[in-house]
Amino acid sequence: MTDAPLVLCADDDEDILSLVSLRLQRAGFRVATAADGEEAVEIARTRRPALAVLDVMMPKLTGYEVLAELRGDEALRGLKVILLSARVQEGDIALGLDAGADAYLAKPFKAQDLVSKVEELLGT
Amino acid sequence: MTSSSLTSRAVPAVAARVRSAPAAWAFLGTGLLAIAVYFLLPAHGDAQSIFYVVIGFSSVVAIYVGSSRNLPRGERLPWQLFAFGLLGQVAGDAIFAIYEVSLNREPPSPSIADAFYLAGYPLLALGVLLILRKLGGQTSRAAILDTLVIFSAVALVQWVFFIDPYNHMHFGTEFSRLVAMAYPAMDVVLLVAFAQLLVGPGGRTRAYRLLLVSIALWVVADEVYGLTIDTYEGGSWIDALWLGSYVVWAAAALDPSMSRLAVPDRRRLPRLTSARLLLLALASLTAPLTLLIERLSHHRVHAFVIAVGGAALGGVVLVRLAGLVHAVERAGLAERLARREAEQAQQLLTFQNQQLVEIDRLKDEFVSSISHELRTPLTSIAGYVELLQEEEEDAEKLGHLAIVGRNSERLLALVTDLLFAARLQYGRLELERAPVDLRSVVEQCVDSARPRAQAASVQLESEVEDVPEIAGEPAKLAQLLDNLVSNAIKFTPRDGRVSVRLTAHPDLIRIEVSDTGIGIPDRERERLFERFFRAQSALERQIQGTGLGLYISKAIVDAHDGRIGVDSAPGEGTTFIVELPVAR
Repeated sequence: MTDAPLVLCADDDEDILSLVSLRLQRAGFRVATAADGEEAVEIARTRRPALAVLDVMMPKLTGYEVLAELRGDEALRGLKVILLSARVQEGDIALGLDAGADAYLAKPFKAQDLVSKVEELLGT
Repeated sequence: MTSSSLTSRAVPAVAARVRSAPAAWAFLGTGLLAIAVYFLLPAHGDAQSIFYVVIGFSSVVAIYVGSSRNLPRGERLPWQLFAFGLLGQVAGDAIFAIYEVSLNREPPSPSIADAFYLAGYPLLALGVLLILRKLGGQTSRAAILDTLVIFSAVALVQWVFFIDPYNHMHFGTEFSRLVAMAYPAMDVVLLVAFAQLLVGPGGRTRAYRLLLVSIALWVVADEVYGLTIDTYEGGSWIDALWLGSYVVWAAAALDPSMSRLAVPDRRRLPRLTSARLLLLALASLTAPLTLLIERLSHHRVHAFVIAVGGAALGGVVLVRLAGLVHAVERAGLAERLARREAEQAQQLLTFQNQQLVEIDRLKDEFVSSISHELRTPLTSIAGYVELLQEEEEDAEKLGHLAIVGRNSERLLALVTDLLFAARLQYGRLELERAPVDLRSVVEQCVDSARPRAQAASVQLESEVEDVPEIAGEPAKLAQLLDNLVSNAIKFTPRDGRVSVRLTAHPDLIRIEVSDTGIGIPDRERERLFERFFRAQSALERQIQGTGLGLYISKAIVDAHDGRIGVDSAPGEGTTFIVELPVAR
């Protein structure tokens, strides 16, 4: 299990956070969770995950701000980021991809869509 | 010969006039004939004197009768004043006649006849004044000043040429001199009234013109009499003017158009018409002209009177000018005020526009966050239901979970539609265009709708042919087809049929979605694509829906530069037709 890639999941909604973690764990990934933006940045820097699944509307730092922070950190080069959001207007999606996200997934999501997107980005 | 041909042409015109006012023309004709007869009678005879009075008295009666016939009670006063004013003249004439017939001499001067004559003038002038008041525009400051200008000029001329000469004539008594001078003085009043009538407001009817002529005749007769007082004798041609005035005055009263004489004018101020300007110019020039005439005719120059009259005229004209300048300034001020108000209104409008834009943005933000707030709990519901469905083996529980899953999907679809519609309201449906193969879009849509059709026991068939690509957004086109097909299934009873056809035509591609459903009545067809519109039949049958599907569908078709229409026979079925232009 120690070889499995570490995925950081950040969401302020506890229920969704557990759901995403559960889905990814069942798909064989190790999971670290964060309940807000600041915690997400801290965990990303200390535990160096291979991929982060970030909610957009989070307290303290939004998903976009976390993304900007991570992309500005040389040490985190190569980190894959998926934005997972209930904001599904074209403008939101474009904003996320422009900010450097590798993928944008809309809530509600199908478990299969999430897992296959993560696997695709990590090449597993 | 010439005269007879003239007559033959003139007769119809005269006949037409006579028919329009038979009494007036009959009186005028008879009156002129009577005047001719007057001059045929032996000069200075009793018959002539009596005939004079008869013509005058008939005219007075005619004026009274005319005003009673042509005017409603309450509007007859001016003409009754004319009748009484002229009656004064006739009374004076009668006294002369009595002296002539019974005593064979003229009455002494002054006599009671002068009292009647002089009493008549104010009544005539008052009658004109009342008519002018009825016509309107006579009580404004400008109108009063105009009257003053004319009065000053007329008074100046009358004094210099008609009144003052009596000061240098021999009279038996001072009183008889004063009485003689009273006539030209009275003519001032009549002249001013005449001038006012000449430039007065309102239209000119035939009666109006006749009235002008009669007053003019009277004044001219008086003035000529004043100039020839030493040589005047009864039966002179001047009598024709006075008699003519009687007759024409009566004709004016008998003409039916006299009832419209006093139609009020809407303008409050007298307009500076060219006639009015000419009159005012003439009046202003009276003083220098009088001076000039006196000098040229070696007349005694009335320096003092001309100086005072000229100064008075100049003063009144100045006041009138000042009034005009003030009016112009007031107009300028009003214009500036109006302009400032317009500017303020413009600023307010700009401000309100900015506010509207801000409100628009807030609404957009609100819709967006509502959508977010609704989607977040739905994510948990759908996600955990999916999880449970994977773990559960009990068929009954799986069935229940399927119901929860289906309903959360419905709720999600509703939220999505509401968000879509809310954004459409701001007029923003921008497509991410790409080449689209409609055939695959239609086939996918039919495939995904098949389970729903089966559940509703509706036969779903499709007939698609190869079509050229169009430039559009695949997701939106799929949404459009899904809306139309879902609707068709919803509104078709069990064992009905829904068919989707895709056909290529020159320059366009046609999609037809037909059903054998309940149909749409004509009166509802126009409103079908309105936001939140729901057909009566759908409400009665409790068919679920938000009234957004067709609204969104039309918006998608519009964004693709296409057209959407509907063909339906109630009870037999409905066909929605979408036409999309082919990519070039």
